[in-house]
Amino acid sequence: LQLKTSSEPALPSAALTALRSARFIDDINKVAYPPSIISPNPALNSNAPNGKFKYEKDFLMQFQTVFTDKPSVDWEQRMRDTVGEPDSARPMAGSR
Amino acid sequence: SSAPSQDDIRDQLTVFHSPENFTVKHPLMNKWTLWFTRPPNKNDTSWHEALKEVVTFDSVEEFWGIYNNITKTSDLALKSDYHLFKVGIRPEWEDPANKHGGKWAYQFKEKRTIPIDELWLHTMLAAIGETLEKETDHEVTGVVVNVRKGFYRIGVWTRSSGTGSQGKTSKENRESLVEIGRRFKEVLKLGEREQVEFSGHSDSANAGSSRAKAKFVA
Repeated sequence: LQLKTSSEPALPSAALTALRSARFIDDINKVAYPPSIISPNPALNSNAPNGKFKYEKDFLMQFQTVFTDKPSVDWEQRMRDTVGEPDSARPMAGSR
Repeated sequence: SSAPSQDDIRDQLTVFHSPENFTVKHPLMNKWTLWFTRPPNKNDTSWHEALKEVVTFDSVEEFWGIYNNITKTSDLALKSDYHLFKVGIRPEWEDPANKHGGKWAYQFKEKRTIPIDELWLHTMLAAIGETLEKETDHEVTGVVVNVRKGFYRIGVWTRSSGTGSQGKTSKENRESLVEIGRRFKEVLKLGEREQVEFSGHSDSANAGSSRAKAKFVA
């Protein structure tokens, strides 16, 4: 039985391609967000130097379910080399 | 600033408009590097071997791509740490940006009941959103979560330790640090009777343990 190997280069997802090619917003107060989105508090960035913004938690939390793709094509390998598997996923001798 | 024109709307598709075809992303004020310390093993010749650089990012969108695809703190093995530091600063006392500094920290001893994933997430969001300090203070170097047998600990590392720095008197320096402690306490949603504690790294080193006497509290 030939197991599928991962020698083919992984293709970036559409979201990752968009992330790589997107420009940085330069004036946060000019972005027109969809009506369901709470815009950043303009007072927070009233003195913001170009392209350097602060963001409140409530604004940032809105991205949680919107950008969910892996941030690079080699992400799984990078996880194995650094953080490893979640502790709960590891078989634990004598438990459960 | 004026209301967005039709052109702005057409050119500036955010991830909220189109998760797969967005054309603009949200810059962070600083680039940040996420580090991980795995539990030590007996083949390690030094502590440094267990510390690994995971990823560097500079947008809100990329932060969430990372957060949504990385092990949650509550799933890490004992003696693991995550460190989120400004790019170029190693999450160690010896780094030039940290060696005169210190940290605000709080230990959560009720490991089973506290929502550590949410608390660490909120701490990271306060760091990358730059709401942990007043914009002119430039004190914060990074944030840390430690997973230990009896507790979780979250910390905020600062460049100075209240003895004066960057042209500030020690009183002004302490005020900046106390403001950071106050904001950190708010992020952690701690009650009136709970206190976050600040200690200088060099005090901790001299005491030979990370449980140095707190220099100040908030």
